[in-house]
Amino acid sequence: MPLGVDAAVLDASVHGDHTGVDVYCTDCHRGRERYQYPHQPNPADTLAAFAADVSQNCRQCHPSLESHNPGHLGAEPGTPVPTCADCHGGHDVVPAGETYADPIGFCLSCHQDFEHPQVDRAHAELVQNMGAGQDCLMCHNGEPVYPADAQCRTCHTLLTGDRELPSGETISLHVDLQELNDSVHGVYQTEAHDYNPLLCTDCHADVQRYGFPHPELTAEDMRGLRMEMDDICQSCHEEIFQKQLDGVHGRAQAEGIDVAATCVDCHGNHNIQVPDEPRERVSQTCAQCHSTINAQYEQSVHGAALLGEHNPDVPVCTDCHGVHDIENPTTAEFRVNSPTLCAGCHADEEMMSKYGISTDVFDTYVADFHGTTVELFEKQSPDHETNKAVCYDCHGVHNILPATDENSQVIRENLLTTCRQCHPDADANFPDAWTSHFKPSLEHNPIVFLVDWFYRLLIPAVLGGFALFIGTDVYRTARTRRSKKENDHGHS
Amino acid sequence: MATANAAGREMSNQQVALTERPRGYWRFSRAERIEHFVLIVSFTVLSLTGIPQKWPDSWWGDLMIRGMGGIEMTRLIHHTAAVVLIVASGYHFIVVGYKVFVKRTPLTMLPSFQDAKDAIQTLAYNIGRAVSPAKMGRYTFGEKVEYWAVIWGTVIMILTGFVLWNPILVTRFLPGEFVPAAKAAHGGEALLAVLSIITWHVYNVHVKHFNRSMFTGYLDPHVMEEEHGLELAGEGVMTPPDPEKVRRRTVIFAPFAAVFAIAILIGVYFFLTYEETAITTVPRQEIEVYVPAEPTETP
Repeated sequence: MPLGVDAAVLDASVHGDHTGVDVYCTDCHRGRERYQYPHQPNPADTLAAFAADVSQNCRQCHPSLESHNPGHLGAEPGTPVPTCADCHGGHDVVPAGETYADPIGFCLSCHQDFEHPQVDRAHAELVQNMGAGQDCLMCHNGEPVYPADAQCRTCHTLLTGDRELPSGETISLHVDLQELNDSVHGVYQTEAHDYNPLLCTDCHADVQRYGFPHPELTAEDMRGLRMEMDDICQSCHEEIFQKQLDGVHGRAQAEGIDVAATCVDCHGNHNIQVPDEPRERVSQTCAQCHSTINAQYEQSVHGAALLGEHNPDVPVCTDCHGVHDIENPTTAEFRVNSPTLCAGCHADEEMMSKYGISTDVFDTYVADFHGTTVELFEKQSPDHETNKAVCYDCHGVHNILPATDENSQVIRENLLTTCRQCHPDADANFPDAWTSHFKPSLEHNPIVFLVDWFYRLLIPAVLGGFALFIGTDVYRTARTRRSKKENDHGHS
Repeated sequence: MATANAAGREMSNQQVALTERPRGYWRFSRAERIEHFVLIVSFTVLSLTGIPQKWPDSWWGDLMIRGMGGIEMTRLIHHTAAVVLIVASGYHFIVVGYKVFVKRTPLTMLPSFQDAKDAIQTLAYNIGRAVSPAKMGRYTFGEKVEYWAVIWGTVIMILTGFVLWNPILVTRFLPGEFVPAAKAAHGGEALLAVLSIITWHVYNVHVKHFNRSMFTGYLDPHVMEEEHGLELAGEGVMTPPDPEKVRRRTVIFAPFAAVFAIAILIGVYFFLTYEETAITTVPRQEIEVYVPAEPTETP
């Protein structure tokens, strides 16, 4: 410790003469015993301790410390926190603005290396990515670092790097705030109520997992990571979550098929949008995993209308398959229930009239052998297989075309081929055994129409005749009995 | 030959029918009564399994089909009863042939102009416009209506039933529309038959008189007098045929009857087994469900 004081330095400092403020040596080096001459032995063991001791006196003139980092001020005595002189200097004390001219550099002058490797890594990247107006105080503002939405956002918007998982896949640490704010969980107004945007910690609520510094990722790969986070949505969307567990995806997950969709696979994570706005979003969502089926759907009468003209009536995937509790469509039950599903729209007079489609399709199906049987199965034994055709056996499933399309399975030219799927021995006349969804009339299926009318007339005619004989016979019997009784009375 | 014996007994029975015996007038042989019983059973089963199929979406149709073990079981029972009825019909055809060609029994079941007159007189008498009821022979006009309705109905039901059972075979020769038409006719005729039995048959032989002759063989004397006055007076009763002639005609008839019987049995077998209308299990389409799309930007 040099004993000499460079008067020029002192003079040039902010406490120097030129500032017009009279600061004397003893303003800082207070304590008569200590500083009287001859000086007492220095009680400090180290230079730092000496500086700390002298720094106690700064508050005599600088009582307001509001602008100082509270972490520094609140430090317990004995901890290696900086004293005033550590940052501002001693005799060479400089104006505060100058000290803090490079705020990041100012902090870095002490905070270079962090013991925790993740903290170290994150800070290195953050410092690199901080732009104008951004500094360490964005996070280190006196509040505990966790849990605090702002800190998460600050950090993860600045971070641009990746973390590599054991599988070699990488996960980006960057969160697009714009995307988050535009999502349903962001700044979002519903008709029902003003919605408070979610905080990061509403979803990432597990302190063990999301506290800072974050524990190292344990997932082997991206899929595993996603699965670890699968139950996050449950805390707010419990009912839907439970439904989902009962659906095909949930069941497949339970069976260990981990590609089966979880919440975020369909909905996204930070970028969640209203899932059916526009309705096209639904089929595009499913197409992420079911691309070949979607390709068929896009060519179908339903898919083409959806994509081509934004038709609001045609079914999207979820209209037939359901949403969260998606039923397994390969079961006997789904098959047997399917005509009712189709009838949901195709027997809807109002909807079908828009497109000039007959609503007789369901009734005529049920009136026929196939439909009669299937409807009985639906009511009585929906879990039993039946070989009787349902709508999609003839019309197709995802590739369903208008009955007038030349490639339709049910256009007249293709009908025999379609019938032969189940009736391999059928010949050319056989398709006409099906009434083609027409109610019998003189125009369509006239023989059936006439046979129906024949019995509609014959039955009442025959029964009327019987009634005539029976009625008059009853009348006669009653009359005979009465007259016999009268006769008996007369004789007696 | 049980058939010939039964028919032979029936013939001699007809002779004694006119003699009033303690239990009444002898009217139906045991073979005839058994035949009628088979008809009761098959008709009832066919009706109970068939009518709910005509109204499957009614609550009672649903309940009946459910009670019978589902639609497939209901159809199986229906088909079984149909086979019984077909065989019984074939049997009846042979018996009638025997009576007509061998025994030369009077054709008392044939409708005649007199039946129309009897019907009119019955109506007139019922409403008090005729002094006396119609006097009728062995079969009244009402019984003839019923007999021929059964014959006609059974023919219709067997033919249309065949179409429904073998639509692929039928449409090889006939227009496809015949299949739904056959279904319409099968249902219409069935309804007519069931309603006729419930009204005409039940009233005439159970309500008007409780006619036990189909169960005991004997008809109450007062019913005999009221309904078959002419028969009682001796009309249509034949003298016993020469046994030697009967024997000779039997020898000629027997091969025809045998061929016919075999044809019926083969026909039924054919009916049952010729066509496999549809495959029993709709093949499953194998499609790859999980085919991730190339990552594209979501809208």
